[in-house]
Amino acid sequence: METIRNYLETMFASLPNTFEVQKAKNELLQMMEDKYTELIKDGKTENEAVGIVISEFGNLDELAEELGISSFVIQENQKTTGGYRNVTLAEVKDYLHDRTRSAYAVALGVFLCIISVCGYLVYFRGGWHVRIVLATSFMFIAIAAAVGLFIFAGFVMGKWKFFRERACSVDFATAEYVHNRRESFRVTRSMMITIGVILCILSVLPVIVVGSLFGWSIGFGVVLMFVFVGIGVFLLVAAENVNAGFTTILSLNKRGTVGGSFVPSQKQVTYRNDTISKVMSVYWLTVTCIYLCWSFLSFDWHITWIVWVIAALVQQMLKAL
Amino acid sequence: MSSISSDIIRGYNDTMILYLLWDAPSYGYEISKRIRNLSEEKYAIKETTLYSAFTRLEKNGFVESFADSDMVNGKRRTYYRITEQGRQYYREKCAEWTLTKEVVEKFIRQDGGM
Repeated sequence: METIRNYLETMFASLPNTFEVQKAKNELLQMMEDKYTELIKDGKTENEAVGIVISEFGNLDELAEELGISSFVIQENQKTTGGYRNVTLAEVKDYLHDRTRSAYAVALGVFLCIISVCGYLVYFRGGWHVRIVLATSFMFIAIAAAVGLFIFAGFVMGKWKFFRERACSVDFATAEYVHNRRESFRVTRSMMITIGVILCILSVLPVIVVGSLFGWSIGFGVVLMFVFVGIGVFLLVAAENVNAGFTTILSLNKRGTVGGSFVPSQKQVTYRNDTISKVMSVYWLTVTCIYLCWSFLSFDWHITWIVWVIAALVQQMLKAL
Repeated sequence: MSSISSDIIRGYNDTMILYLLWDAPSYGYEISKRIRNLSEEKYAIKETTLYSAFTRLEKNGFVESFADSDMVNGKRRTYYRITEQGRQYYREKCAEWTLTKEVVEKFIRQDGGM
């Protein structure tokens, strides 16, 4: 029965998601289900029953006129000949695998960039210039490794550029597979984000603790701070990148079609005003910048968080414009 | 064995459906099954053909659909019921068929062209 349902969903996947189309799909499923049940009752094997039901299903072109989709059916047929790229389940699995690998590579690269300055902050024995040489070498090695990881990630993902360049689609079973994978990743993702955010917030703690315990080596506290922030950002970047992989696949199908039912329904905020939409594209980046600059310059961490509250309020106001 | 050309029979799918609804309301699969049985397995209507006929008949007011539960296993289904207009249309189709048959019959050789 699952095969029949998938077959029907695939047939309908590219049709517009209207009431008539849904009704037709349900009615046809009902008839196929009845027929299947009866064939099984008559002693047919599951495979035989599925074969008979599907072979006697007919052709959706016949319904085009009744469903008010004749223009659509023709359009779709032209598109398939015009290179509508169907992405198979195997390809999708490959893509998700690559995407996960590159997500962790990028996250690790970001982590290395963040901690690259730590060499200057650690106190160890040796002359002044020995320290500078060691710290600088550490920084360059870390950055080189990070760049290497970025290039690797770009290389791995290069194969999948066609997702953006061509019109692609996935069939229903594949979309469902990706949807399930995303659902099962949800808990992991929220854990990663939560821990990442907590680490970023707690990052000032080592500075305070180490500073008050051993006044002489505040540098070590700052190193810990960078490591905290580094791990936090690592988790955030990895979680979001892996998730973006699922979203990319699920967004391949057009939202208005039956196959697009799994297209992430989160509302894309659209701004009516053109200037505002341009401002909003860099809004949170600017806010983060202000927050970090103010915090590091004044070291008033106890009060600078208010920036986020104000920023959120301002965003709500801008949305209303 | 020759099979029925779907082009020819298309014009009479409506007639068959209305005939089967004449005495009592029915639903998709039951109608397709009865068509197959009555035609002695010579004609099997495709699901898409049947559904397109239903929507056309309903649009023209010849049948009405309603949701009801199956008597046997309580399954919810869409049932179709013939309307007075539907009966009128059926009578017209019957007359049309008698005429068609009469005319075409005149051009069919008794020996089947053997």
